[in-house]
Amino acid sequence: MLELKNILFRTPESDAGAQSPAGRTIIHDLSFTFESGGFYAITGPNGSGKTTLAKLIMGINELTSGKIIFNGSDISNLPIHERSMAGIVYGFQHPARFKGTTFRDLLSVATGSDDEEKLVEIISRVGICSLDFLDKPVDSKLSGGEIKKIELATVIARNPKVAIYDEPDTGIDLWTIGPMVELLRREQKENKTTTIVVSHNKSFLEAADTLLLIRDGKIAYSGNLAGAVPILEDLSVCTFNELCQGEANAQCYR
Amino acid sequence: MLNAIDKQVLKEVADLEGIPKGAYNIRKNGKLLGREVSASINIETNEKGDGIIIDIKPGTVNESVHIPVILSRAGLHDTVYNTFIVGEGSDVTIIAGCGIHCGGKESEGHSGIHEFQIRAGAKVRYVEKHIAIGDGTGRRILNPTTKVFMAENSQVEMELTQLGGVDEARRYNEAVIGPGAVLIVTERVMTEKDQRAESKNEIELAGTDSKANIVSRSVIKDDSSQDFYVNLTAKAKCYGHIECDAIIMGNGINQTVPALRALHPDAEMTHEASIGKIANDQLMKLMTLGLDYDAAVNRIIQGFLR
Ligand SMILES: Nc1ncnc2c1ncn2[C@@H]1O[C@H](COP(=O)(O)OP(=O)(O)OP(=O)(O)O)[C@@H](O)[C@H]1O
Ligand SMILES: [Mg+2]
Repeated sequence: MLELKNILFRTPESDAGAQSPAGRTIIHDLSFTFESGGFYAITGPNGSGKTTLAKLIMGINELTSGKIIFNGSDISNLPIHERSMAGIVYGFQHPARFKGTTFRDLLSVATGSDDEEKLVEIISRVGICSLDFLDKPVDSKLSGGEIKKIELATVIARNPKVAIYDEPDTGIDLWTIGPMVELLRREQKENKTTTIVVSHNKSFLEAADTLLLIRDGKIAYSGNLAGAVPILEDLSVCTFNELCQGEANAQCYR
Repeated sequence: MLNAIDKQVLKEVADLEGIPKGAYNIRKNGKLLGREVSASINIETNEKGDGIIIDIKPGTVNESVHIPVILSRAGLHDTVYNTFIVGEGSDVTIIAGCGIHCGGKESEGHSGIHEFQIRAGAKVRYVEKHIAIGDGTGRRILNPTTKVFMAENSQVEMELTQLGGVDEARRYNEAVIGPGAVLIVTERVMTEKDQRAESKNEIELAGTDSKANIVSRSVIKDDSSQDFYVNLTAKAKCYGHIECDAIIMGNGINQTVPALRALHPDAEMTHEASIGKIANDQLMKLMTLGLDYDAAVNRIIQGFLR
């Protein structure tokens, strides 16, 4: 069980550029409990705070106030790697591109093992990354889709208790989306991974047991997909293109 | 004939456990320690007696030649002039490099000048590693020079590595690339404490359809400094690329000066250069995979210098 208690994130003053006023609040007093083994989708307009929220859970962003409780212990002040050790792993929306470091390196960091067999086993379990990827440098030469597949594989390789995927479908081809949803479902079922997917993609929204709609740094809705529709309609900007079925339904959910 | 220090140096410089297979020439403290030739690779001392000539017969394939240098006497500054003649159509690996073991207060140094005549269609992989070990306080100085002359359709891949230990290094690389020939240089240098390293490169794309790719990876720790200069000059229709990345840790300083000169209208040249601290997003990624900050830094540097 992962509990967010009145979490608040204000950008550090020093980070504020000329445009943004110092100390802008991105996440406002947000509370929510993720049940163990659940499948959650987080959606909401661009800039609403989804990535910020995910990074607060991972410890990449530091809470301004509030608490994060994971299986009964307060992890609010734990550094990133200790949260990872505790079983929380975040797959980045924009994965880091290295120089020289290969997919094999990342997998062996994730698993703590150099064992060839083990790495190959993970790649086949993930299914969506080709074995040829193993010795590829994870650098700027990888395509947008390739690096997202690698990012996802490194998260799964850690056998996390809580896996947070930030828009894992960005750049992923039509043929891989289905298998990716299946993969995350299988991981959730077989390993009881609490799965949190930030996405605008209909496939993920439908796969989730619970949908969280984030708007202006607050939870505007949580519940099933059907119940979210009126609120999605209410949003002035439709970012849910995937929910629109072409011209016939051009009204979208406005 | 190899003592424990020699063995350690050979292991680190040339990845050798004892005496290598195939042709070799081992130089220790300015003198010949051992030499072996093969049916297609001849090694002999040059006329002036200040170096060796390595003559590789045309068509020699899948052979290697090791020419490590060991320096373990304080106060010695050794200079050597080696010439490589790589025959037409051959495909060989040359393992060079110098290891200094410093046990005293006086400085020790080696200046190796390597000239390569690469004949048409020949393919060479040149691996050169510089190390310095020992408890002595004397400065360890390595000033390597390479001059590469490449005939048509030849290929040379140079891997130049110096990962710590060397107090002062002044490198000079020169290359003239003929028609259809390809030169790939990868230089990896890590400096620490108050070490200084400088690398100057003059690369000339002289022949039609010649290609050059010059890659430099620098890690500058503590109070050390590194300067990297490369002049890539195009005198024909050709393709050239320079990529230099420097990671600064501690109080290190760096100058990276890549220059592209197109003296021909059909030259195509690009360069990328960066200087900075370890990228934060890379650190964050490795930490989310369970590494603490220091372990993450090490992993990134390890990959970067590989
Ligand atoms: N460290 C920071 N400093 C200043 N502003 C920040 C910082 N982090 C996030 N923001 C701002 O917070 C807002 C929310 O960003 P966030 O990345 O969480 O949005 P998102 O919901 O993930 O959007 P998207 O759907 O585009 O990925 C944005 O306006 C962003 O510019
Ligand atoms: Mg985001």
